[in-house]
Amino acid sequence: MKPDPTVTTKGAPIPRGPYVHARKQDGLIWVTGQIGRDPSTGDFVKGGFEAEFHQAIDNLEAILKASGSSLDRVVRTQIEFVDEADLEAMNRIYGERFQPPLPARTSFGVAFLWKGAKVQIDCVAAVD
Amino acid sequence: MTEHRSIVSRKGPQPTSVYAHAHIHGGLVWVTAQAGRDPETGETVPGGMEGQLDRAISNLEAILDDCGSSLERVVRTMIMFVDESDLDAMNRAYAKRFHPPLPARTSFGVKFLAPEPGTEKVRVQIDCVAEV
Repeated sequence: MKPDPTVTTKGAPIPRGPYVHARKQDGLIWVTGQIGRDPSTGDFVKGGFEAEFHQAIDNLEAILKASGSSLDRVVRTQIEFVDEADLEAMNRIYGERFQPPLPARTSFGVAFLWKGAKVQIDCVAAVD
Repeated sequence: MTEHRSIVSRKGPQPTSVYAHAHIHGGLVWVTAQAGRDPETGETVPGGMEGQLDRAISNLEAILDDCGSSLERVVRTMIMFVDESDLDAMNRAYAKRFHPPLPARTSFGVKFLAPEPGTEKVRVQIDCVAEV
């Protein structure tokens, strides 16, 4: 029997829909879009865009760790955010959290995210 | 040799612009976002979010089948939708079609989606990457 290709960890907020935290496929791990929810309470962290984005990246990091990968093995990220005014904060925080070799990245503004989230980030990363 | 080819399935709604239904490369198939279009008429089906997403997933399924893959082998989906009040209906329709092992998923709201033939407003699109 094939091993379960999916990953769900207590280190990231419990999925609130029909999805897993991540799924492995032949050397890659595909991570579900993460928002700024605190894994211990399930609620959004307070502090606006910056706090939410840090928490979302913390969640990605926890999922990657549970999958046997890490932020420095991310090959591509995708960021969706709601307010154009958050662009500079997004880049500053991203630059604090991701170090060379940097991933490819696509980011864009959206009409809305889950339950009023200000930002969401997903990724694809290398995994053994 | 690594397979590298694009696919236009006879079972999916025919492309209305410059894209294939899917592209296969290196053990993965990348499928173009599907709207809830009936492959026979080309028109968007009625039934709001649930009707459209169910049909769109059937279109993904038909394309995946032509590529030698299936919904069970999908590793990641991306869903774009226009109306925030469709969230619960989106999850309901999705959960009827995807079963464990579930894929990773990213979904978000967009300002608009490309209109398709017919009278229904396009409310949702879904794409995927799957093992092949």
